[in-house]
Amino acid sequence: MSRLFFREALARAMAEEMDRDPRIVLLGQDIAEHGGSYGETRGLFQRFGPARVRNTPVAEEGTVGIAAGAAAAGLRPMAFITYFDFLMLGLDPLVNYAAKLRFKSAGQLSAPLVVKTTAGAKGQGPTHAQALEAWLMGVPGLTVVTPSTSADAYGLLKTALRAPGPVVFIDHKRLFPLGGEVPEGEVLVPFGSAAVRREGRDVTVVAHSHMSVLAGQAAEALAREGVEVESVDLRSLWPIDWDTLAASARRTGRVLIVEEGQTVCGVGAELGFHLRELVPEIEVARLGARRAPVSSSPALEGYVIPDARRIAGAVRDLLRRPRREREVAR
Amino acid sequence: MTRSLVIPADLGEGVEVRVLLWYKAEGERIGEGDAILEFETDKAIVVVTARQGGVLRRCFAPAGEWLGAGQVAAWVSDGADDPLPGDRGAPAEALLAAFETT
Repeated sequence: MSRLFFREALARAMAEEMDRDPRIVLLGQDIAEHGGSYGETRGLFQRFGPARVRNTPVAEEGTVGIAAGAAAAGLRPMAFITYFDFLMLGLDPLVNYAAKLRFKSAGQLSAPLVVKTTAGAKGQGPTHAQALEAWLMGVPGLTVVTPSTSADAYGLLKTALRAPGPVVFIDHKRLFPLGGEVPEGEVLVPFGSAAVRREGRDVTVVAHSHMSVLAGQAAEALAREGVEVESVDLRSLWPIDWDTLAASARRTGRVLIVEEGQTVCGVGAELGFHLRELVPEIEVARLGARRAPVSSSPALEGYVIPDARRIAGAVRDLLRRPRREREVAR
Repeated sequence: MTRSLVIPADLGEGVEVRVLLWYKAEGERIGEGDAILEFETDKAIVVVTARQGGVLRRCFAPAGEWLGAGQVAAWVSDGADDPLPGDRGAPAEALLAAFETT
C-alpha cells in the first residue's frame, strides 16, 4: 500500500492504462502543460506528448462530441469536464450519441469513452457546485461511477478505461485534499460493486462520493451514543449493487440514503423505492440538499448541503420510527 | 519551554498533507527565519519558516509520512534539555511560524 492524494491515484490509473493501451487519449481544459484543473494530469503531457494529452477550449459540447466521435472511430478518449455543471453542454453528444450508439448500430459500433467530471459544493456557488448525478442514472447505455477514496478512484478509473461503452466518472472537489491507501498492484474495482465501509446492526446508511466520507463521520458520532451504523458506499450509481444493498437492508431493517444533490427524483428516490420492492418490511428515509441552489456564501452552502450532523440527525429520526412488521407490509 | 509546530487547522477538517523534507534534524538549533519543514497539500508545496528560534526536539512524521490538519508536526524547545510534553496531544503553546506556498 502507498498513501496517495486523490489526484495522484487518478494520475497513476491514467498513466498505467495509457502505457497499456495506445488508443487512450485525453481531452480537456488545462490538462496538458498545466496538469489539470485539480492537478490530476500532472506529468502526463510530458510523458505521453501532445498527440495523446490535448488541451481543448472552453467548449464542452465540442469536447464531448469529438471524444464520442473519436471513440466510435476506434480511439479510447477520456474527456475532462472541470465542473459537472458544464457537462450540461455536452449532454447531447453523450446521451443522444455515445450512450445509444451500440443500440442504434445493432452492436456494430460502440463508444468507449470516459467523461470525467467533478461535482460538489466547495465555495464555488450556484453554477460550479452542483451534484447532478441522478440525472444520468436513467440513461440506458451509460455507466455512472462515483469514487470516494483514492483506491476506488484508481480502481474504477482503470475499469472505466477498459469498458466497452461510455462511462461518466464523477469525483468531488472535497475529495482532492484527502489522502488514501492505494494497493501497490493493479487492483481494479468492478462496476456495480458497493463497499460496506463499516458494519453495524441498527441502521444502514447508503451514500456515495463525498457524502460517504461524511456518513463515516456521522457513524463515528452515533457509535458514541451506542448506535451501530452500517455504512455502504455505492461507488457505482449505474449499475447498482442491489445485492449488497438488499442484504444490508435485511440485516438492519432501516435504510437512510444520503446524497448531496436534490432529493426530488434523486438517487435516494430511486434506491429507496426499489429497495422497498426488494425488502418490503424495511423503513426508508432520504436526506439530500434543501431545495435551493448552492450558495457562494459558506454559511448558506452549509445550510443547504447535508453535513455529518444532519446525517446523524436523520439516523436518529429514522430509529424513532416504529419498526414495520412483515405482516403489516404484505 | 517547549512549543508545538502545528499543521494549520484551517486547511480544513480531514485535510491531509505529505511531509516532503525536514530542513533540520532533531537536536539541531533553529534560528528565527530558518526553514524547518516542507510539506505538500493536494494543491501546493508549503515551506514552514520559524518566526521564533529554538531547538528542534522531535519530528513526528519523517519525509514521506502524512499529517492531518491541526496535528502536531514537531516540538521545538528554548533549550536543548527543556522538559517535553507528556504526549503529542498535550496542550502546548504554538510555535510562531510562517507557512508560505511555493
